[in-house]
Amino acid sequence: MAVELRPPAARPEPPSRRPGLGHTLRQAWREYRSMRTALVLLVVLAAASILGSLFPQEGISPRRVDQYFGDHPALAPVLDRLGLFDVFGSAWYMAIYLALLGALVACLVPRSRALVRVLRSRPPRGGSLDRYRTRAVFDTSASPEQAIRAARTVLRRHHYRVADHPDGPDPWGPGDPEGVPRLVGELSRGGPPVSRGELAAEKGYLREASSLLFHVSLLVLLVGLAYGKGYGYRGQAAIVEGQTWANARVAYDTFTPGRFFGLTRLAPFQLRLDDFTNSFHDNNTPKEFVSRLTALDLDGHPTQSQRVAPNRPMTVDGVRIFQSDYGYVPVVRVLGKDGTELLAPQEVLTLRDPASEWSTGAVKVTRAHPQVGLELTMFTGLRTAPDCPGGAPFCNDPRLVRPVLVVLPYQGDLQADRAQSVFTLDRTRLKPLGDRPLLLGLGQSGELANGLEVSFTGLKQYSVFTLARDPGVPIVAAAAALLLGGLIPSLYLTRRRIWVRATPAGPGTTRVELAGLALQGKPAFEGELARLAQQVERGTLDAPDRST
Amino acid sequence: MSPAELATLSDTLAWLAVVSYVVAAALFGLEFSFRVGWLGPAGLAVTVAGLAANLGAAVARGLAAGRVPWGNMYEFSIIVGIVTVAGFLVWVYRRPEIRPLGVFVLLPAVLAMALGGLVFRVPAGPLVPALNSRWIVIHVAAAITGSSVLCLAAVFSILYLVKDRVERRQRAPAPPLVAGGAKTADRVEVDQAVARHAGIWDRLPSADTLDELAYRTTAFGFPIWTFAIIAGAIWAQAAWGRYWGWDPKETWSFISWTIFAAYLHARATAGWRGRRAAWLAVVGLAALAFNFYAVNTVIVGLHSYGQ
Ligand code: HEM
Repeated sequence: MAVELRPPAARPEPPSRRPGLGHTLRQAWREYRSMRTALVLLVVLAAASILGSLFPQEGISPRRVDQYFGDHPALAPVLDRLGLFDVFGSAWYMAIYLALLGALVACLVPRSRALVRVLRSRPPRGGSLDRYRTRAVFDTSASPEQAIRAARTVLRRHHYRVADHPDGPDPWGPGDPEGVPRLVGELSRGGPPVSRGELAAEKGYLREASSLLFHVSLLVLLVGLAYGKGYGYRGQAAIVEGQTWANARVAYDTFTPGRFFGLTRLAPFQLRLDDFTNSFHDNNTPKEFVSRLTALDLDGHPTQSQRVAPNRPMTVDGVRIFQSDYGYVPVVRVLGKDGTELLAPQEVLTLRDPASEWSTGAVKVTRAHPQVGLELTMFTGLRTAPDCPGGAPFCNDPRLVRPVLVVLPYQGDLQADRAQSVFTLDRTRLKPLGDRPLLLGLGQSGELANGLEVSFTGLKQYSVFTLARDPGVPIVAAAAALLLGGLIPSLYLTRRRIWVRATPAGPGTTRVELAGLALQGKPAFEGELARLAQQVERGTLDAPDRST
Repeated sequence: MSPAELATLSDTLAWLAVVSYVVAAALFGLEFSFRVGWLGPAGLAVTVAGLAANLGAAVARGLAAGRVPWGNMYEFSIIVGIVTVAGFLVWVYRRPEIRPLGVFVLLPAVLAMALGGLVFRVPAGPLVPALNSRWIVIHVAAAITGSSVLCLAAVFSILYLVKDRVERRQRAPAPPLVAGGAKTADRVEVDQAVARHAGIWDRLPSADTLDELAYRTTAFGFPIWTFAIIAGAIWAQAAWGRYWGWDPKETWSFISWTIFAAYLHARATAGWRGRRAAWLAVVGLAALAFNFYAVNTVIVGLHSYGQ
């Protein structure tokens, strides 16, 4: 808002022009950059965001979106077309957001210009002071010059910017209710100019300046976010204990590059997971999980080593590495009836269910005839009734106390030449093998119904990391600091103007008038003006030489 | 004392605080309705005692759990009580005449604390690893403080709306009286009727004062809330490698922040100053409450540390 501190008097209307297209456009532009537009757009943005929390969002819970499609087959496609499953990426949300940013830029330019103009000019005359609500008047025996000098001292001491408007015809004329300047010629006809002094003082420019700083920082912050997103990337990678992982796009399980991220920019390093540990509290809620990670250069020389845990990421070549998940890797070997090795000891990645802490995975023995598939469920601590709560027949202790592998065998055609998940079997051409699962403790072996021998020879863990590069972080951090630095003064400082006028009022008496106007904090300002008037009065009493 | 004893002490103190606030609210309510002089200071004394118990409950809880006492919804409810009541006391210190408004501040505070104690109570315990960071001290403390102060501001806005209605009624031209012109006596009667209709609400401080209280309180709470959101984004960046993921908690924080930003704009916009601005503050309060109760319990996200 281009704040003009003016007396509360009507200003003459500018001569009205005939409305043409240019006029209409100018009007629309003025409306667009007005406070009301900003306000309405802010409310609309808030309302639009509510939609993003009413419907499941692709970006957060894709599984719940699928479920919604299942539950509401007729409605879901319509909602999908309206972008309600991706509100924050939808075109209409973007449109509101950009309209608001546009309004912000459009309003910052005139606001800054107005502030510069105000800072360059001197606080103007006040016109007739009895029009102001906040006023103080007193009579003193000091001369008008002395009274003005005292007022100047007091106002300067309170960090007001003070402008002198010394003697001379006052173009405003006393008591003119409209405050419209009269012609000088007309004024001189009213009698000889009276000798008087006037001060105009102003304070609180910093409010507008910091408000501008706040709004500009907000823009810069959003630019920093967009820059970081556009030129950075995020990805996830799983590393098994003891393995080394190379930072290449194919090595990521998921990889989301920014729009402007060039693949050549992946930093050349490798990561080795030396060790992973997880621990639990007595009530079996998770306590800590920690990966010991070593970064290596492409020649395999270690460059740095760190314990990576939630809230404790590691930074390698500008890439931040976050602990995000973990799981178990049972090692399984399968021997044929004649003792030939059909499956050399294999590390089987399993999916961990965070609620029960049991993991599921699959083993595909393509060299067996007919082919054999094993569905694995791994318990970290298998317990059976009556050790389980609620009379359940079995349950799992999340701590790694008694790892047990439950093996459900199938035989038939694995269809291994078709793309399929590594965690599950495609059972369309498979038949159960035997009628009961195999239960294997660590180091144990068991025989399937067709004579194959399955061994649970070892157990490792894997750790899942989120790797992210965000070159916008320094911009965002600086903008956030400036934003807060601008916000606080802009809410606490108040802009106000005070006029002081001293006029002779009878022999040996000077009447001193103080009047003021505050844009904000009016109740506090009344007290301030009264205190200032007292100080000025005291100042005139202290004046050394009285001219009477 | 052992952690178990400290936890019990904390529970006792929390209920003591609730009881004190109820008593103080009753005293302020009577002072407000009947203008009895000694009730106010008595209410103030009970409020201060309740605040001391409330603080004690938080400290004991923190000692019992061996961490900062703001790790779950029960503990948040305790802190909400501290911040709103302390914020109100600061205002009473600066403007003694608003003391009877205590009834309108203490009752919501009691509601929040009782709800916390009855619905969300959990034994004192450690934090889950995802929440275990020094950022929790900063982010969560700022979030509870900022949103509690904003709630206090919204209470003032609601009172403003009530009083503004009364004042507008009183300012409205008197209804036409008997045909043939009004006698002076009739005019007085009508004025009295209007005053009676306004009832005790007329005793609220002037609408201007309430508006000022609401604005200054918002001006205090809003930067804290802003800081909380920024700190949360920094924490998310440090913990998960992204600032913002639009999970329900983040979304609703953004919504309430935006609404209070709209309120600050409305206060400087012709035609929105006053009543419309105050309604925005009420909507902001609803958004904060939804964020705290509905999002933590009903809607799932990374932030669901409710129970
Ligand atoms: C991106 C959206 C915006 C947000 C989040 C926002 C936020 C805020 C906040 C928090 C304040 C209060 C603190 C301060 O005075 O600095 C404020 C004040 C202000 N904003 Fe905005 N703003 C936005 C856009 C705009 C736009 C487009 C305009 C142009 C009309 C504008 C004009 C103002 C003015 C004039 C004030 C000062 C009000 C006063 O002096 O009380 N803002 N804004």
